[in-house]
Amino acid sequence: MLGEAGCRRAERDSQGRVRLRLWHSLGGRPRAALLEIVRRFHEREPGVRVEAVYQGDYFEALAKLRTAVAAGAAPALSHVVAEVLPYLARANALEPLGGYDGLGELDLVPALAQSGAFRGGAERPLYAVPLNRSTPLMYCNGALLREAGLAPPETWDELASHAKALTRSGSRWGFEVPIAWWFWVAMVGQAGGAVFDAEGRATLGGDAGAEAIAFWQRLIHRDRVMRPPPGRDYDAWNVTNQDFLSGRAAMIWTSTAFLRYLEDNAKFPVVAAPLPAKVKRSVPTGGTLFVVMRAAPAIEREAAAKFLRFFCETDQVTLLSQRTGYLPITRAAVARMEGEGFFASHANDAIAQRQLADVEPWPWEPKLFRIQRDIVNPRLEQAVLLDRDARGLLDEARRAAARPS
Amino acid sequence: MRPRAPAHPWLMLAPTLLAFGLFVFLPLALTARASLQSWDMLTEPEWVGAANYGALMEGGELWRVLGRTLGFSVIVVVGAMSFGLGLAVLVDRPGRVFAFVRGSVFSAYVVSWVAVALLWVWLLDPDAGAVAAIFRAVGLPRVGFLTDPRAALVTVACVAVWKITGYAMIVFLAGLRAIPASLREAAALDGASGWQTFRHVVWPMLRPTAAFVATTSLITSFQAFDVVRIMTQGGPARATTLFVYAIYEQIFLNLSVGKASALAVVFFVVLSLLAALQLRAWRSRGGEPA
Repeated sequence: MLGEAGCRRAERDSQGRVRLRLWHSLGGRPRAALLEIVRRFHEREPGVRVEAVYQGDYFEALAKLRTAVAAGAAPALSHVVAEVLPYLARANALEPLGGYDGLGELDLVPALAQSGAFRGGAERPLYAVPLNRSTPLMYCNGALLREAGLAPPETWDELASHAKALTRSGSRWGFEVPIAWWFWVAMVGQAGGAVFDAEGRATLGGDAGAEAIAFWQRLIHRDRVMRPPPGRDYDAWNVTNQDFLSGRAAMIWTSTAFLRYLEDNAKFPVVAAPLPAKVKRSVPTGGTLFVVMRAAPAIEREAAAKFLRFFCETDQVTLLSQRTGYLPITRAAVARMEGEGFFASHANDAIAQRQLADVEPWPWEPKLFRIQRDIVNPRLEQAVLLDRDARGLLDEARRAAARPS
Repeated sequence: MRPRAPAHPWLMLAPTLLAFGLFVFLPLALTARASLQSWDMLTEPEWVGAANYGALMEGGELWRVLGRTLGFSVIVVVGAMSFGLGLAVLVDRPGRVFAFVRGSVFSAYVVSWVAVALLWVWLLDPDAGAVAAIFRAVGLPRVGFLTDPRAALVTVACVAVWKITGYAMIVFLAGLRAIPASLREAAALDGASGWQTFRHVVWPMLRPTAAFVATTSLITSFQAFDVVRIMTQGGPARATTLFVYAIYEQIFLNLSVGKASALAVVFFVVLSLLAALQLRAWRSRGGEPA
């Protein structure tokens, strides 16, 4: 009994407040915004103490979260990338949130919420509430575009010709984007394909998947106008941002999340544009969604639900969005930002907002995360960097995806 | 010496055996069992037999990881030993300048792997790095040290060599100073040249030291993780996915405990074979492990 008492975690702090453990992966401006929201929450709810702990990037945090769940030491509240949500739900690790007061009725932007970010997401129990949601966005160096007399590219062909016009051998790349799943999925959609078919089979885009890879191969190996940034995951993203800010890349694709950061740190006008089309425009959603862990004590889960309701209030949603570039997650926040003229005075944010019309939902597929990390990402790198046969590698990937995990 | 009771030796060994059993053999057995399951730590493990090994073998991924790790180890061991020995011979002299050089070279060894890796990522940037600037200045082509799959493994191995050469140098210096001066004097009296003295007097006396440096460098190279994690995250195109990183990637990034365990079992077998070969080499020379 003593051992059990010693091992059980304290649900309240020394002042009797409920301890709400929040594991997060936010750095820089998003972290500052989150901590400000936590501070505001403490003012509103003095009986709850949110213990926000940074746990590394999304993938490191997920590894820790999974280990903590297995060890019975999970925090009540955390956030995960969309691709992992179906897997965690299938593993019964997530608390359904629909029954908590007010959470089932949140006025969320459908494309960013579970209901619209996943095919059939509305028919499933509510497992997630959006935190920081984004899409890929193109950022152009406005000074270089003006100098070359160009407007942001609207098609793949224009992207290739603009990149060629803006490249200066040895000093500047026309285009840069991390060789990663998220951007490839965007291009698969733009080329008219889908990563999964309606029956849930991993088609990996079919011809469109190979076409997307071939386009990257052409820009890197034939045209020599695109730099594949070194490193993986967020290391590569960081390099891309730094290359853009230092003028070594004229156009980049990265997340809307970096909008404010890039605008504030660039010594040139930053011109955002929707991702270009091949046969149509298409972008996946990114960023993360809050989840409440089923294994957490009931009192902490209740506190988590309170925090989520508070987080989705317009003041909090606009704070996070305006300070970072993440998309506002509630319709009320969008309306307020429109009403107050925010989008009129922030053209880049308005473009990111309009691009939501091109969002392609994710499939609700528990294997999605494994397919992303274990199957597609390594083969994308092989195909693009080593200029290998894209169709052959995607065939191999489809076979691997069809095997049980 | 005979024990007073047959149980006494076992009682004396018990604490060590218990610790080994608990922290080495039990985890090994659990890992071997997990390698035969499909498990993501959250759902119930499912028995899949040798499927994890089959998945690793299919497409040759296992052999590629093994080949990369061995290639990396060869570069690290040969590089660290060669540079370490060369530097030790060069700086084995009195004076402040040589003391400063010894200290400078060794300083890389005491810096953390993370700091070293970050430093070299910056230096090796193909456009803005200092190494690229030198390449441009002497008219060499642009090299994507960490972005070109053909260059990345060698680059990371060279960074590892740079990091541990100071350690090899210090150990070789100790070995050199342990050689009695009278032997060199005798060789000189016999008219031996500098190279002949090194070849026939110094090197034979340094062999145990060299074996020690080789063993520790091999261990370091097989354990390489931080440098890969920071510099390349196993890329580009898996060109630097070494064994330990592959295990980490499978379990923590790909959520596959079964495949990670299968890799760990293979890694254990490979290391056991290498250890056996090394022991055999020592015994065939009639020597003792350093």
